[in-house]
Amino acid sequence: MKSKAIKNVLTTVGLPVLFGAIIFVLWQTKVLHALFGTDEIILPLPTRIGSIISDNFTVMIPQITSTLIVALGGLVLGSILGYLIGVAGAVFKKWGMGGLTIVSAFNAIPLVALAPVINNWTRNLSGVVDIRSTVAKIITVTIFCTASMSVNAYRGLTEVKPFSEDLFASYGSSKLRMFFKLRLPNSLPYVFTALRVSVPSCVIGAVVSEYFAEQVIGVGRQIRENIVKGQFPTAWAYIAVACAMGILMYVILLIVESIVLKNRRAR
Amino acid sequence: MLNKIKSSKGIVTAVWVLGLIVIWEICAFIVGATQRTPVNVLPHLYPIIGSFFDPKPITGSGDTIATLVFSSAAETLSRALIGFVIGMLLGYALALFMHLSHIVEKIAFPYLMIIQMIPILGMAPIVLSITGDISSARIVIAAILTFYPVSTNTLAGFKSVGRERHELMKSYGANKFQLYVKMLIPSAMSYFFTGLKISAPMAITASILVDTLQGGNGLGCMLSQSLKGSMTRFVFWDIVIFSAVIGVLSFYLMGVIERAISPSKRKVKKLNNGKD
Repeated sequence: MKSKAIKNVLTTVGLPVLFGAIIFVLWQTKVLHALFGTDEIILPLPTRIGSIISDNFTVMIPQITSTLIVALGGLVLGSILGYLIGVAGAVFKKWGMGGLTIVSAFNAIPLVALAPVINNWTRNLSGVVDIRSTVAKIITVTIFCTASMSVNAYRGLTEVKPFSEDLFASYGSSKLRMFFKLRLPNSLPYVFTALRVSVPSCVIGAVVSEYFAEQVIGVGRQIRENIVKGQFPTAWAYIAVACAMGILMYVILLIVESIVLKNRRAR
Repeated sequence: MLNKIKSSKGIVTAVWVLGLIVIWEICAFIVGATQRTPVNVLPHLYPIIGSFFDPKPITGSGDTIATLVFSSAAETLSRALIGFVIGMLLGYALALFMHLSHIVEKIAFPYLMIIQMIPILGMAPIVLSITGDISSARIVIAAILTFYPVSTNTLAGFKSVGRERHELMKSYGANKFQLYVKMLIPSAMSYFFTGLKISAPMAITASILVDTLQGGNGLGCMLSQSLKGSMTRFVFWDIVIFSAVIGVLSFYLMGVIERAISPSKRKVKKLNNGKD
């Protein structure tokens, strides 16, 4: 039994790692380049990308913080806004559903069309480019993160077990009490479902909004600028950093989720 | 009864849309009164829509805004559609292979998770440099963005089929081919379409984004040219509204196709309505 479990772990971890190693070797030995028909300048070797990151990390830090501020700021604001919309939808059922439909329709609006519009809106907000540009970027990410949270919050607040609703009613509890003691806790797992969607998308939103921003800063902007300048290895280094940011934030989310929802799993 | 429910739902949505239009117009009014160049910030809706039907040509070759938007939309959206179809087929095939073979699943699944966490759209410029051609870059990015939602959702669909149904098929003596064609593929259909609904607007977004990176014909190119001021600002507003509408429509289109090809969905819907 135990040897079977060990074998299971070995194949679950070992096979993907092996696959990754094969890709790495193919990349390093330039087989990938032949496959895609590119050269080392456009698709630099992984070791070169790694050395660029380690050499220029101090230069990258301000870019990374700028992108992180935008991504996290948008994520927090968008999640709060989305949750409030979900609450509104759950309280005013008939009108709330229509509102939710509209919000999820917002999700289908191409981000690319949104970013320049918001840039225009914030133009007169402040004389300082940094402030107004950061605000514009955060608003873009906020809109990007709202929809999934609002839909999931609505489901979490309304999809309670019928008998628990009956129980609360039989205790003669007020609607407000029922909301705080039953609906709110019930929505917690749904909040994490929403975050699993919006954490990766807030990084994407931040990166793309930087393409259109006035302020020339951020990981996404560096990717673009370096490609325009023809410095592909540096651009790849920033792409690797962006990927690492996305993966790291997701891992943190999973850890937080496992701590917060620990008691529920056990039951 | 049925009609009453439908119409009341339609009314609620209509009121919301109307409300949004009213808010837009109020904001546009305030902007018009306080800003020096209101057309850059928030113009009224009617000149935007009016400019779309304006018969006056705005380019040297005699294109009106409408023909310009439609020709660039055809350019961009056709590539998005090709990428979408390629990504859909690859994603479905991978989901099938992952369900058929445990080894494939173990290799591919972690990478499918990782690819969700990395900002693919941020890689658009580099894909453009690798392919060297804007059309193939649009197709590649749209395909990647379609690929993984379809793949993960379809796999979840295959796995959602209960044990007792597997046992039933086994007791009928169904072979593997019949098992998939008669049971697994139809049951995974709604999951597959969930993936498509996520990825259809993303494929369009990706295609437009790739446009903005390079000159040429395409919605994104016109968008950035209009922002830079080389043509009237209304082109920008028309494209913003046009792409928003297309994005939303693509989402609903998937739902329409789903209902059209899966009879079980129709039946369930009817039952639900009857209950109400």
